[in-house]
Amino acid sequence: MEATRSRRSWARYLPLAVPVFGLAELGAHQFFSRRAPSEKDWSDVRPLVASWFVPGDVVVVAPYWAEPMARWKLGDDLMPTRDVARPDATRYSEAIEVSALGSRSPELAGWRVLREAKKGPFTLRAYSNPAPPAITYDFVDHLGPDSVEATIETPGAKTRCAFTASAPVEGGGLGGPPIYPASRFVCPGEPPHVFVGVTIIDDEQARPRRCVWAHPPGGDGEIVARYRAVPLGAKIHGHAGMGWLIERDRAVPPFTLRIVAGSGEVGRVVHQPGDFWKGFEIELGAAAHTTADVSFHVSAPSGGTHVCFEADSR
Amino acid sequence: MRLRRREGYALDHFIGFVLALVYLVLLVKTAHPLGYARDEGFYFHAASTYADWFEVLLRDPGAAIQRTTVDAHWAVNHEHPGFVKSIFGLSWSLFYKKWHLFEEEGTSFRFGGMCFAACGVWLIYVWGTRARSRTTGFAAATLFALMPRIFYHAHLDCFDVPIAVMWTLVAYAYWRSLDEPTFGWALAAGIAFGVALDTKLNSWFLPPALLLHALFARGGRIARGLKLGKVRAPLALWAMASIGPFVFLLLWPWIWFDTVDRLTDYVRFHLNHEYYNMVFLGVTYWKPPMPRGYVWLMTAATVPAITLLLFFVGAASRARKHVFRWIGRAARPEVDPAHTDLLWAIGFLVQFAPWILSTNTPIFGGTKHWFSAYPFLCLFAGTGLDFTISKLRALVPPSRAGRLAPLVDAAAFAAVLAAPLAETLHSHPWGLSNYTPLVGGAPGGASLGLNRQFWGFTTGAVVDWLNEHVASGQSVYIHDTAGEAWEMLHRDGRLSPKVQAAWSVQASAFALYHHEEHMETIEYQIWTAYGTSSPAYIGTYDGVPVVYVYARPGLRAAGN
Repeated sequence: MEATRSRRSWARYLPLAVPVFGLAELGAHQFFSRRAPSEKDWSDVRPLVASWFVPGDVVVVAPYWAEPMARWKLGDDLMPTRDVARPDATRYSEAIEVSALGSRSPELAGWRVLREAKKGPFTLRAYSNPAPPAITYDFVDHLGPDSVEATIETPGAKTRCAFTASAPVEGGGLGGPPIYPASRFVCPGEPPHVFVGVTIIDDEQARPRRCVWAHPPGGDGEIVARYRAVPLGAKIHGHAGMGWLIERDRAVPPFTLRIVAGSGEVGRVVHQPGDFWKGFEIELGAAAHTTADVSFHVSAPSGGTHVCFEADSR
Repeated sequence: MRLRRREGYALDHFIGFVLALVYLVLLVKTAHPLGYARDEGFYFHAASTYADWFEVLLRDPGAAIQRTTVDAHWAVNHEHPGFVKSIFGLSWSLFYKKWHLFEEEGTSFRFGGMCFAACGVWLIYVWGTRARSRTTGFAAATLFALMPRIFYHAHLDCFDVPIAVMWTLVAYAYWRSLDEPTFGWALAAGIAFGVALDTKLNSWFLPPALLLHALFARGGRIARGLKLGKVRAPLALWAMASIGPFVFLLLWPWIWFDTVDRLTDYVRFHLNHEYYNMVFLGVTYWKPPMPRGYVWLMTAATVPAITLLLFFVGAASRARKHVFRWIGRAARPEVDPAHTDLLWAIGFLVQFAPWILSTNTPIFGGTKHWFSAYPFLCLFAGTGLDFTISKLRALVPPSRAGRLAPLVDAAAFAAVLAAPLAETLHSHPWGLSNYTPLVGGAPGGASLGLNRQFWGFTTGAVVDWLNEHVASGQSVYIHDTAGEAWEMLHRDGRLSPKVQAAWSVQASAFALYHHEEHMETIEYQIWTAYGTSSPAYIGTYDGVPVVYVYARPGLRAAGN
């Protein structure tokens, strides 16, 4: 009886919770609106990141949505497009994580923390890859006239695609192809989208992926990127995709990527629409640890589809 | 007694008018930094064309109603009815072109939409006051005005706030016709329904919603009538069925000709509307099935939490009363011939029904598609504050009640309005990027993978930067900004004439990117074309990047 009366007397004060809740929300609003790092905070953290940075490191931002702020304030020197649009983080030996709001990058899960420092609202961590690969060759980095010959090959015919550094920059638009870069292998007699060159596509999480565009020609032809004298490791590690926006409706044909090292085919990747940015790994067998020509043969039925791949040998 | 009541109502209308006026002034005064949304751009064009038709109508009425004239002026943007755009156009024509009341042309179009929002505040105050108390009315009206998303959309020359207000107005007229049955209120319901039909398609939900209410409220009478072969539906429903379509027809000249075909096209357009992209919890949806949790989480993430709490308190306190009445524990049954709580509950729930009942309903418009629920949500919230205050007053010792009661009222109002006021003012001019503390504010929304913006309106946030950095002869790829919206920034004088638009990344010296998940590919196209992934400037909201500006490396800086 006494307990019931006591509960009732406490219940009388329950309505006070409403204005208290209102004031708590006001406090929470003040807290959350100031919580994320400001433009100045990002500028202030740059010297520390730069002092840790060694060429070859990758700068990773957590949470990922804050990465544009890092690109803005850290600049291309610390965050070049090559690394920002990386195929994955496995190729790097070390990474610097710029973390805010208590976030950690899932890309670096399992990596060893070498050191950690606090700077304003940030926590900086240097990481070491527990299994860093020894990359002997990066096929995207080497795409150029000195290392590569690009051709359109049909049964009985082979047409060379000429490299130029001043092709018209074309393509683009929402739902369209990526931008066709000025530096690319232009294939004579083919529409502008049939070329070999480095561009960037979006993966299924809308993340950037730098890759070699190799849109196959119509009919039963192949577009081929042939790399000369490649120092090979034990395998070819890579990814291929079409771009999320292009393949999300699964209304485009599949494509096939055949990889030839030396005199023989070492593997092929069949990419179905909906595979998105999909990794592959091909053991080189007898060609491992040799220097050989490596060619990527791309084909697709019915006039082709968007194809972009990246690969390294490790 | 009746005279005193009328005087009271006159005072309430005066208070409602003052609230509306304050809100209107606030909207006008805060319009300048807000960039123009894509759809606003399309409506600028349509509204000015309709305004031209009204000039023809005044000059030569006979010529104005000819098919060639009507089609020449009303074919533009005929996928939406013409009434609200007519208001935008007349506002521009009178207040900008003729009387020069506005410095910025865009604000003169928007003023029509702002007037709807202000009238909504007035209407909600009056309804809350009449149905419950001044406390309810005042709280409901202010909580509605102080919803960040409502505040953003209330600025625009778009239909979403106008339809929320028209929906509420029809429901109010219907309610009045039940409360004190007069021909006048039934007639008002009919006319208002016609105007609502001419505002936006959400009005199609009004007949089933009010019919449902009538069946509950007047079920016995209707059933008895049916037995006698008579349909005894409330007079307002008859008026809506008979007068509404004529008003709709009258206010939209486009359907004066080929009426059936054009109406069929209108209905078909919306029933088969293409799906646009919308991200929710990190996943972009562009085709069904749409996520079931979208309306609930987005409402929770964008309506101030105290408003939601008061809504639950208000709804629960009313539900408790009804339950007590049914089980016979109420001391004196409440007499409410209009079944107000039921009408408010239906008005609230029916707006959510398309997303509750179907996973095919698009979500690309974000919260604006269920704005018509918010006046009812706020009426319950106002009820909740009234209930809370009554309980708080009971804590004051009777001997000091007279002196302390006003202080209790003021303190309670201040405590519950502080957060909505702070959040709403802080949300401007970012509007759609704003999220409430319940999800951690804007950074929390970004971490959850909620949409940061759509319609490209945040161009307004980088106008000053562009004016400063873009040199003559250099152009800007404007990404998601509609051409007409960009052009209006020029006509307003906000954007320097030297800053011209480019229609492709490759043709540009500067490029905007309005962050939306599915549009990331545009940002990567800029990187490839420009050879850099480092923005030259970012418009941020609470540390969250929203609109980015890229500059082609090696450009001549403005002024050099």
